[in-house]
Amino acid sequence: MDFALNQEQELFRGYVRKYLESKGLTKIARDYMVDQGESFPAIHTGLAELGCSSINISECYGGMELGALDLVPVLEEIGRALLPGLFLETNTLVVPLLEQFGTEEQKASYLPDIAEGKSTFTFAWLEHDYNYQPSGIKLKAHQEKNSIIIDGVKTLVPEAQIADYFVVVARTGKEEKDISLVIVDRSQSNMTIRPQKTIDEARCLSEVTFNHLEVPPTQILGPINGGWTILQEGLLSFNAALSTIMVGSTDKIVEMAVEYANIREQFGQPIGRFQAVKHKIVDMKVDLETARSLAYYANWALENKTDDRVQAITIARIFATDAFIRAASNNIQIHGGIGFTEEVDCHLYLKRARFYENYLGSTQQYYEQAATALGW
Amino acid sequence: MDFSFTKHEEEFRQELRTWLEEHLPKDWVMSNQKYVKDPVFLRNWQKELYEGGWGAIAWPEKYGGRNATLMEEIIYEQEMVRAKAPSPINYVGIHMVGPTLMDIGTEEQKEQYLQKMLTGEEVWCQGYSEPNAGSDLAAIQTSAVKDGDRWIINGQKVWTSYGHVADRCFLLARTNHFEKKHKGITVFLLDMKQAGVETQPIIQMNGEHDFNEVFLKDAIAYDADIVGEVDEGWRVTMALLAHERTGIGAQVFTLEQQFQDLVTLAKEREDHGQPLIKNPFIRKNMIDLYARSRGSLLNYYRNLTKTLKNGYPGPEGSMDKLIVSEITKDLFAQSISMQGHQGILSEDVDGEHSYWSNNYLYSFGQTIGGGTSEIQRNTIGERILGLPKDLRR
Ligand SMILES: Cc1cc2nc3c(=O)[nH]c(=O)nc-3n(C[C@H](O)[C@H](O)[C@H](O)COP(=O)(O)OP(=O)(O)OC[C@H]3O[C@@H](n4cnc5c(N)ncnc54)[C@H](O)[C@@H]3O)c2cc1C
Repeated sequence: MDFALNQEQELFRGYVRKYLESKGLTKIARDYMVDQGESFPAIHTGLAELGCSSINISECYGGMELGALDLVPVLEEIGRALLPGLFLETNTLVVPLLEQFGTEEQKASYLPDIAEGKSTFTFAWLEHDYNYQPSGIKLKAHQEKNSIIIDGVKTLVPEAQIADYFVVVARTGKEEKDISLVIVDRSQSNMTIRPQKTIDEARCLSEVTFNHLEVPPTQILGPINGGWTILQEGLLSFNAALSTIMVGSTDKIVEMAVEYANIREQFGQPIGRFQAVKHKIVDMKVDLETARSLAYYANWALENKTDDRVQAITIARIFATDAFIRAASNNIQIHGGIGFTEEVDCHLYLKRARFYENYLGSTQQYYEQAATALGW
Repeated sequence: MDFSFTKHEEEFRQELRTWLEEHLPKDWVMSNQKYVKDPVFLRNWQKELYEGGWGAIAWPEKYGGRNATLMEEIIYEQEMVRAKAPSPINYVGIHMVGPTLMDIGTEEQKEQYLQKMLTGEEVWCQGYSEPNAGSDLAAIQTSAVKDGDRWIINGQKVWTSYGHVADRCFLLARTNHFEKKHKGITVFLLDMKQAGVETQPIIQMNGEHDFNEVFLKDAIAYDADIVGEVDEGWRVTMALLAHERTGIGAQVFTLEQQFQDLVTLAKEREDHGQPLIKNPFIRKNMIDLYARSRGSLLNYYRNLTKTLKNGYPGPEGSMDKLIVSEITKDLFAQSISMQGHQGILSEDVDGEHSYWSNNYLYSFGQTIGGGTSEIQRNTIGERILGLPKDLRR
């Protein structure tokens, strides 16, 4: 029995934490709200220099060829800092898809840049009916001679303003599941980006309109009309990673709550001595450790391709989401009046929790997926 | 990370499994409540375990154990749960008193008690709690007064599990009134079968009788019955608690099994012609419960890994105890509501105790016994998170 990250992984966590703390931790997110990511590439490059963005990329494309568990420390630290940007989307959704389903040409042209931290990917999936099922995909990509023409509108596209590439979920045929994933270079014209406002201002979402945008057929990722199936694979690694990020955020929340409960005095004693406060924090801690165990196991199951990986990953996502929201909410209460202000970080964590709650898949759908995976 | 067992551990598991298949009493069925509480049956089972070499695997070989590793103890618990073997009647003896005596008992005490614990000849109970000393254990008032080489003991104990069948009691008594409450407590190995000891049953809310009130009226113990030093019993008590290293493990695995039983129930029971498990509300509740119980198992493994690495258990045990007992309570609560009105039946059609309603009622004891959930939260808050200590006298 050995259920823990290994020494190198913990060591690496230390480097990443030190780096993000030196950049002011949540200051990065706060800057992002103001400049929409202008100052952010420097941070992304900094993380890449530490090696973060090359961890799970094959050696022949400039990566370290390590597994999901090696990403865990990085993701937890990113979660603690509420890091904006597209690390999650690029490295845990698009990289595994490229590695597993990309053509040699695609891999050669995208992976080395990702490894070096030079390019990021976003994911354009949802449309105006907010339907995560195949039937929700109306945006068309049809073949004309030697190119693919994309027409339609995507909404809630994360960080469209800074992404170098978009993976667009598009309808390529008549059948319900005739869906393909198309890689679009943002430098192409015929694309309008309209920013949308959300409660988590440290993440940007946009409506993106594709107007007769033309790409070569070589930009299709995976088999044509087979996009839906491979997307499910990609979502497994994405969700294992997302759970881990949320664990990282929750970890920081518990730390904040403990710190505050130790220094804030009322009635002549630290508020952490009051059990109404103490026990609430303990419950947050218990949730945190449970979420962490589930997330570690999810990543282990992913890395080892175990039979129970779908349920392990889905369950981790469901529980980590809940734990994150609960902890973030309680943290505000524990901080009292100051917790309700923009001044301290409490609200940032709550908003991020809600941002992730239904991110790339609805809670309800994940419940259903878990039940099905369990054979219920 | 590695969830696999070594070849040696697998062999151990297989050996135990085979033994259980051959020796588990044929007429033993988990749902048969007649045997669950039958002391004669349970003592025989303890003897059977001993004769097969499975009585106290963690004990050193020279005392009749197997020098089992922590992992082997875990496997042992897993297999016992898997086989739905009878619960041990001498849990206190095997897991707590025995190891404590090996550590700090005298040669005579080891000689006199260890073997009989193993064979089930002598069953032990623990006499800590009193009417006015529960969570605040150091507040005990039962007194032991020296009289030559004898000690005269007066007072009252309560919630003494198995007190009615026990031969001996690991008893805490006050031998001195120091300013600090936890000073001046002494541990006695008390003979329960004497005139000065009277036990009266307390019936639990599930209608069963596990625990008792114990009245001590001029009960007698001798110098030779003291464990460790006079007035230093608090330290002995803490040492004893540290020995309870696998208790939670058994509960974690039981919880896993109980959850599977709940799934089976939800698949088999129907409402309006449809299995309960297909009902979206029940499905959601079940997934939430699954996530928590699965999480508690994995948490336990993570804490176990820490213990294996450090060589000793940390305060995380409190976390496991809190989580598991709270989930158990929620699990059975769910089992009752899920079944509709039928859920409150205390007998099944075949006239046997309903597994569900009985366990539901029993589960209320789990967040109280062994330290309440509130006390566990205090421990976690103070020892793991470093929050300020509760005000204490
Ligand atoms: C099934 C079962 C088996 C048992 N077996 C034994 C046995 O074999 N031998 C034995 O000696 N005892 C045994 N006990 C007793 C058990 O250890 C006590 O019941 C337990 O420690 C609680 O003490 P109490 O009942 O006096 O409750 P109290 O301590 O009076 O607690 C009442 C309430 O107050 C809360 N509370 C108390 N102090 C604090 C605090 N500091 N902070 C916050 N909340 C607090 C408690 O959490 C609880 O909710 C058993 C109990 C049960 C339920």
